[in-house]
Amino acid sequence: MKELTAEDTSLLELVDRLLNKGVVLAGEATISVAGVDLIYLGLNVVLAAVETLEKAQERRAS
Amino acid sequence: MTLLAHAIAASPPATLAPGGLRGRPMAWSETGGLGLWSTEWAPDIKLERPDALEHHRLVERICAAQPCLPVRFGTAFATADEARASLDKRAAALRAALARVAGKSELALTLLWREPSAPQRIESTAGPGRQYMETRRAEFGARESRRARAESMVEQVVGELAIERQLVWHETCTSDNVAVSLAVLVPTERAGERKAQLEQVAAGFPDVLPVLNGPWPPYTFARTE
Repeated sequence: MKELTAEDTSLLELVDRLLNKGVVLAGEATISVAGVDLIYLGLNVVLAAVETLEKAQERRAS
Repeated sequence: MTLLAHAIAASPPATLAPGGLRGRPMAWSETGGLGLWSTEWAPDIKLERPDALEHHRLVERICAAQPCLPVRFGTAFATADEARASLDKRAAALRAALARVAGKSELALTLLWREPSAPQRIESTAGPGRQYMETRRAEFGARESRRARAESMVEQVVGELAIERQLVWHETCTSDNVAVSLAVLVPTERAGERKAQLEQVAAGFPDVLPVLNGPWPPYTFARTE
């Protein structure tokens, strides 16, 4: 099991709120990092997913 | 031009510094006593991760100036008319949500398990089929025991801080690491005091590492559906 630090956790909690909480209005657009939509990814996968995807993208580009 | 939404507030709009995301102009689109704060965006500019954090800082700035409902990051409207139509459609629910969060901020408490889950080791001379089932049963038992422990910590936090149920949101055991993810809506002027109380209660749990964040804008309590 990968250990989460307090810093990881704080960032994950904030990112979760930005992407998964707040008012949902019609007209929503998705945002993506490395071509993968982030909005509906959950708290525990967002940060890890972003890092992994970015690394995978870099590997593919090199 | 696209409008990238940040927060909803009641009119009149507060006086804010003009810079929005990446320093682009801020816009206020008003209808029926409600308005949407947004950044004038260009559809061809892709949003990046730092934009999410800047959106958070903008929402903090707006919420510090007037009661507001944070809008989910990434929400965009093609025109101000579209933004106004979206507000009109849910005006009553948005007004109720604004009244609920006015003068309040969100505190976030996450409890991380200090030790990984350790299901009881099965010593058995039974065949592989039975051993497999017994191992699965032990894993299930360990998971349920952790969930029960996490729920009991939530109950203790809510009880000791005498928090009204509708002002608390929580999830338990969302991953191997996370025991509890909890959000509380507190009066902004008492946020520091309530945070210290949360810290004190959480410090009494020997099996988890508490991580406290906030005060933040009321993201968790802004939903209208």
